Amino acid sequence: MLEIRQLDAFYGDAQALWGVTMDVHDGETVAVLGTNGAGKSTLVNAVAGLHAKRSGRISVGGRDVAALPAHKVCEYGVAVVPEGRRVFPGMSVYDNLCLGAYRRTARAEYRKGLDRVHDIFPRLRQRTGQLAGSLSGGEQQMLAIGRALMAKPTLLLLDEPSLGLAPVMTDEVFEAIEAVNAQGVSVLLVEQDVDRALEAASRGYLLAEGRVAGAGTSAELRASDTVQRSVLGI
Amino acid sequence: MTTIQAALSGILLGGLYALMAAGVSVTWGVLRIINLAHFGMILLGAYLTFELATAWRVNPLVTLVVSVPAMFVLGGALQWAFDYLRVSELNSLLITFGLLIVVVQSVSNVWSADFQRMAAEVNPYATESVRVGRFVFPVPTLLAFAIALLVILGAHLVLRRTFIGRALRAYAEDRPIAAAFGIDHRRIGVLLAAVTGATAAVAGMLFSLANALTPATAFEWFGTVFAVVILGGIGHLVGTLAAGVLVGLLSSVVSVVLSPATAPFVLFSAIVLALILRPQGLFTVGATR
Amino acid sequence: MTRRFAIGFPLVVAVLACLSLYRVTLGFPLFYLALLTLMLFWVTQATSWNILSGYSGYFSFGQAAYVGIGAYSTAVLFGRHGVNFYVTILVAAGLSAVLALAVGAIAFRLRSLRGEIFALLTLAVPFILAALARINSSIDGGQGIIVSVPPFPAGLGLFQDFLYLLNLLVAAVAVLVAYLMRKSRFGWALAGVRDAEDVAEGLGVPTFRYKMLALLASAVIGGVGGSLFALQIGFVAVDSIFHLTVPLFVIVMSVLGGRTHWLGPVVGVVLVVLLQDRLTASGLGEWQLIVLGAVLVLLVLLAPEGVYARLRARPLVALVTAAVVAAAVWLPGEPLDAILVGLLAATAVALLPLRAAPPAPVVAEPAEQAAPAPVAPPAEPVGVGEVLVECRNVARYFGGVRALEDVSLTVREGEIVGLVGPNGSGKTTLVGLLSGSLRPTRGSIHVAGNDLAKLPPHRVAHAGVARTYQIPRPFTSMTVRDNVAMAIMFGRSPRSLATARRDAAGPLDVVGLGHLADAYPDKLNLHQRQLLEIARALAADPKVLLLDEALAGLNPAEIDNAVEVIRRVHRSGVSIVIVEHLLRVVNQLATRIVVLDRGTRLADGDPREVLTDPAVVRAYLGKRAHA
Repeated sequence: MLEIRQLDAFYGDAQALWGVTMDVHDGETVAVLGTNGAGKSTLVNAVAGLHAKRSGRISVGGRDVAALPAHKVCEYGVAVVPEGRRVFPGMSVYDNLCLGAYRRTARAEYRKGLDRVHDIFPRLRQRTGQLAGSLSGGEQQMLAIGRALMAKPTLLLLDEPSLGLAPVMTDEVFEAIEAVNAQGVSVLLVEQDVDRALEAASRGYLLAEGRVAGAGTSAELRASDTVQRSVLGI
Repeated sequence: MTTIQAALSGILLGGLYALMAAGVSVTWGVLRIINLAHFGMILLGAYLTFELATAWRVNPLVTLVVSVPAMFVLGGALQWAFDYLRVSELNSLLITFGLLIVVVQSVSNVWSADFQRMAAEVNPYATESVRVGRFVFPVPTLLAFAIALLVILGAHLVLRRTFIGRALRAYAEDRPIAAAFGIDHRRIGVLLAAVTGATAAVAGMLFSLANALTPATAFEWFGTVFAVVILGGIGHLVGTLAAGVLVGLLSSVVSVVLSPATAPFVLFSAIVLALILRPQGLFTVGATR
Repeated sequence: MTRRFAIGFPLVVAVLACLSLYRVTLGFPLFYLALLTLMLFWVTQATSWNILSGYSGYFSFGQAAYVGIGAYSTAVLFGRHGVNFYVTILVAAGLSAVLALAVGAIAFRLRSLRGEIFALLTLAVPFILAALARINSSIDGGQGIIVSVPPFPAGLGLFQDFLYLLNLLVAAVAVLVAYLMRKSRFGWALAGVRDAEDVAEGLGVPTFRYKMLALLASAVIGGVGGSLFALQIGFVAVDSIFHLTVPLFVIVMSVLGGRTHWLGPVVGVVLVVLLQDRLTASGLGEWQLIVLGAVLVLLVLLAPEGVYARLRARPLVALVTAAVVAAAVWLPGEPLDAILVGLLAATAVALLPLRAAPPAPVVAEPAEQAAPAPVAPPAEPVGVGEVLVECRNVARYFGGVRALEDVSLTVREGEIVGLVGPNGSGKTTLVGLLSGSLRPTRGSIHVAGNDLAKLPPHRVAHAGVARTYQIPRPFTSMTVRDNVAMAIMFGRSPRSLATARRDAAGPLDVVGLGHLADAYPDKLNLHQRQLLEIARALAADPKVLLLDEALAGLNPAEIDNAVEVIRRVHRSGVSIVIVEHLLRVVNQLATRIVVLDRGTRLADGDPREVLTDPAVVRAYLGKRAHA
């Protein structure tokens, strides 16, 4: 589904990724672990096209998107749940969801998409007319995920979905991620909550200071103490 | 009695202010371009109506067939250039100021700096008025108010209910994320600016119905229109409409009750108060910027 | 004042004065004198605009307001009521000042959109004044006012001579003021405002005060110039005064000449007035404004820095071109044409794209940073002293979002406190609160005994807090040395520029940037810019230094160097609060670690203990780790 080869990416003039190579296969959930500042968000942004300066190869479903701007990458079925949620605060929940279906292939079936999102997050149905900015953090996170699902993605990029959420909320969000994955969407999950991430994913990569520092199945990564040491920096 | 008449006339006049301000407000809020050249486009629209109606001997409303497409293209082309050249918000002020001067002087060179008015036989509305009870409303102001209301509410519905409208609002709130959902900034920017240009043509036509034209009029709109933009909340259409009506009402009533000389002061004080108390606009619920 | 200016400026003014005083002897035609008078009027106005808008970056479209107030003060008081002419000049200055203070007090206090709102307010003011003058016939009698000739010393010659000398005097004072401002701390403060206003404020520059002073100076000069304008035109009516050509002209002149230099507007005036005069003479008068409007658009897009800066880069070529072209045109025709064409040719040469300058050989670092002080034992406390920073039960909300809740924290002298926590835990908010750029919603923060809630940000800097920004924000128009000198000049004990420049060597050596002192920030790489951030903060002579992710985006070698720099800073007696993602680094440096999680303080103590604290591990790794 997603093939990244020798990806360099820059944050301003600072290089944030060095020669990253990783894969996400069809229907798989893959976790990306690492400390703050390890380059996890940069990775998500580089794939989504939100970083103009990147080099290397990023192919989605066999097509190279490394040189495309974000709105073109979206047309190839990549949807993003950005760090910090970034819902459109001045728009209603309904409008946020519909905006998710802006992409041509999704627009025709946006009603079906709405039903699907409402099934996963019944709470969003109750809040449909409310401004997104007035939702609680957990609800905003659901909305951000729902908005991404409206785009009918084949690849979903999730950047720190547990960020700033109470544990109960985090449980709910992770259940939703598993539900989405069960519907056949491939997921790249960036997360600092190592345990949760490895629980949701079948495989994982470890990023440290912008490079891939380890990879393996969830069980392998859970057992290894490199992960823990890297994340804590000891 | 005269006060009520003044209030009603002021409200009607406010519709036109709102229509003029709507274009400036939306391009500022969504595209981050403070487009002083918008006043130039309104002026061009007014003169096109004057010229075509006089030359072809047609109803001024018919001239929109030419002026609307012309301003649509002009507005879009301008935005394309701004986008291509990556013009910043403050530089947009300087650049469009230069453009405005070019337009005004060109208009003056072509049509002279004298006051010009459409002849009575082509402009059937100029002298007519509607009488309701003891109140009198000139047809041009009624027409202006009705069309302004129609355009602004229509635009508002488009922004609320359509995919393009949602895309524009999303773009105004968070550009990168909007792009990640498939929104092509250049395309919707040019489209928006083109539509804005079209509204300038309509506003110009409506202005020419009731008023004699002179190039310097473009500058006289500044104070009032920016008052409406700021009071209405940058980028908020319904707020702009309400602010237009409020400003029209206020200046008209103040002129009658106190004296015409105090109107600019009251208006100016209103802007100042609004800036200090509610910089996000009078009628906005939650500020997004 | 440089020697060149001290000799050159009076010389130029004297020569210009002689043109009038010995006009008959020299055979200098009156027509040229009138043209020069017009130029001097515009020099005054353009310089007035430039003092505020060019130096500080706040664009004003309201120059016509000053001209109008000046012209009307003189016209009404002197023309209609016979008040002494010289008194009306003072009235003009006073009224302009009042107007400017009112506009500034509104616009400069806004949090956001300050620049845009200021521009729009200034755009509206002249129209409101014009409407007022037009409607209130008690002001000008309804028909405009004829301004007669005031009495003047007979020795000066004709009225034209008197007018010329008066304008020369005012223009000379305006340029002198602009020069002195540019060369003093005033000009530096305004340049700081233009480059990065809140950074300047954070370094101790009282930005509000300087902006108001600049506005005031601009208004007084503009008003006095307007007063003379009334004499010059002899008949004052609304339409001849409150016209948008005034702001258009001053903006085009300043942008054309160069906004950041005191002489820029003068260069612009000469070009624009000559061009305007020649266009009129050739019967193309109605094209004037179209040409100027187009020039403005093109300049903003193509050469925003203006002609003067370019001329200085290649003076000889320009001079020769001007002379050759002018001479060629002079022979067959009118001298003014020749001068204009020569100047235009020089301008064209100046504006030609500079040949790509050779890439600055700046990045070459000196072999192995100048003597990296003998390896210090890791994080040896310099000796922990008195409490410097004390936060008590601090909370900060953004709208409904609770970024910080009930956080207490003390920093003692000699400590390096590592502030860590997952994303979104409130670290940057806490740094904002400590540096005074944010106010706590609840709770109190004291630094060295000062209550931060009572101080504006620049006073917080003087209380002994300095910060760096995660994304470096240098003053781009200044060299590395001057960036650092800014912080010294406006620090707790103000210094002169010369002293500050000399003292800047100290902080630059501490971070190892001494060899780049004369480079501009855009030539620096990220690491060097982050070091510049630290040097600049250090130059403010802080008691506490807040480092907000000063190592983000660096490669391992650069990180090691930065760690060494931070140690050196610490040893010089500065307490440090460091926010950092790389726990490895914090672990090396910090004497104490404070962990934030979701806006509350999770742990506070010895690095080793904190990093093995199960609650902390859980916050970093997830809920079940080490359960």
